[in-house]
Amino acid sequence: MDTHSNEALLARIDSLSAQVAYLVERQRKQEELFAEMTPILREVMATATTRLDDLEKKGYFAFGRELVQVGDRIVTGFTPDDVRQLGDAIVGILETVRAVTQPEVLAVASEASEVLQNSDKVEPMGLLGMVRATKNDDVQKGMAVMMDVMRHVGRAAEIVAKRRERSPEDEKRARLAKVIGPRKRAVLGTERPAPRAQVAAAAPPVRPGAGDLGPPAGCAVPAKPAPVAAVIDGVAFTADGHLADATVWSEDLALRIAAAQGVVMAEAQWTVVRFARADFEQTGVSPNIRRITQGTQLATKDLYALFPKAPARTVAKIAGIPKPAGCI
Amino acid sequence: MNIATPKRKVAIICSHGGLDEVYPSLILGNAARQSGIEAFVFFTFWGLDAITESKVDHLHMNLAGNASSNMPTVLAGLPGMESLAASMMKKQMTELDLPSVREMLQILDESGAELYACELAMKMFKRKREDLVAPVKDVITAGDFYDLAEGAQIIFT
Repeated sequence: MDTHSNEALLARIDSLSAQVAYLVERQRKQEELFAEMTPILREVMATATTRLDDLEKKGYFAFGRELVQVGDRIVTGFTPDDVRQLGDAIVGILETVRAVTQPEVLAVASEASEVLQNSDKVEPMGLLGMVRATKNDDVQKGMAVMMDVMRHVGRAAEIVAKRRERSPEDEKRARLAKVIGPRKRAVLGTERPAPRAQVAAAAPPVRPGAGDLGPPAGCAVPAKPAPVAAVIDGVAFTADGHLADATVWSEDLALRIAAAQGVVMAEAQWTVVRFARADFEQTGVSPNIRRITQGTQLATKDLYALFPKAPARTVAKIAGIPKPAGCI
Repeated sequence: MNIATPKRKVAIICSHGGLDEVYPSLILGNAARQSGIEAFVFFTFWGLDAITESKVDHLHMNLAGNASSNMPTVLAGLPGMESLAASMMKKQMTELDLPSVREMLQILDESGAELYACELAMKMFKRKREDLVAPVKDVITAGDFYDLAEGAQIIFT
């Protein structure tokens, strides 16, 4: 039993020492590797630093930063939908690019650009000059080409207009323009005059209150001072039965005039009379029926019910103001 | 104290449908009521347009043959001239705060003036009572007109 346990112990010590030896060996190898690698790493770091410095000097990083910003703008300016649409359109775009870059087309473009380059040398031309120029065969051909282009553009514009009606493309353009800034907006074609504010155009007309009627209509002019035709109970009247001097008016006098006119003064009548007087004091013009209806919110019918005979005139008489002018 | 006006009555005959021909009738009628004068307006022939529901808001004015329009008749007859003149006139009336024809008819009715349509003209233009605006009181004949106009001053426009 004893020897047996001793053997077991020895065997365990053996395995332990083997493990220790393995660990020591590994540690040594790592240290060796480190010693070997250090100069290399140092070299690499140095090279990398100079390299990065170089790149920085050449402006790669600035460029990269800008590129990221551009990417940001594109991402904020376009929705995933836009990108999908772009993917759909890519074939068309490539075809267009190919068509435009055909040698024949490029030749025409280069010819045209040459003319534009020498545009400072051309002579000014008037209407007659234009007519004369059309005799030239080349000009005629050019005109035919232009006409055809115009026809196609017109047709395409119609299609675009139709498409734009249902697509919120304008909104996207506006969003992009907002991101890019106002300077580019003109280039994008999103610079538009601000829509005119729709002020109460759709709102139903509201009858103004007594305070905000505005000046009387052009037809109503201030009455000329009429001569005194009669003096009754010490009060002067004109020939048509109105007070000669509006300032001598009092509520008591109003009651007496109303009685003579056959009008019983109740609250409704007083409202109209007071409005007429206030309006006269404000504008210097006696209000006509239309103005009274606008100022008191009464219907014409109500006014004729309150003052059955010639409402505006009767009101003016009771209010002690001149005869109203104007036809309405 | 009461300076009374004698009882007066006017009968106005409106026989043309131009904007410039309808307004005088309506304004005269309204002014009569404002002055305490009894008034009624008789619409006949083209004047019916002024009280026809579908036409009252689209009355035009004729420039051709109008010596006061300051426009040569040759030009005044061009298409669109009528509408142009009508819209210009309407604009000026708005500036003066003049009510529209429809509104004027309403005001006349409310102020107690009576509006009548001519029966013969109605038959001629194949119009029915339902085609007329609400303020119209009745469709009467020329004989009825004279009965109504008894004691009235008659104004023909």
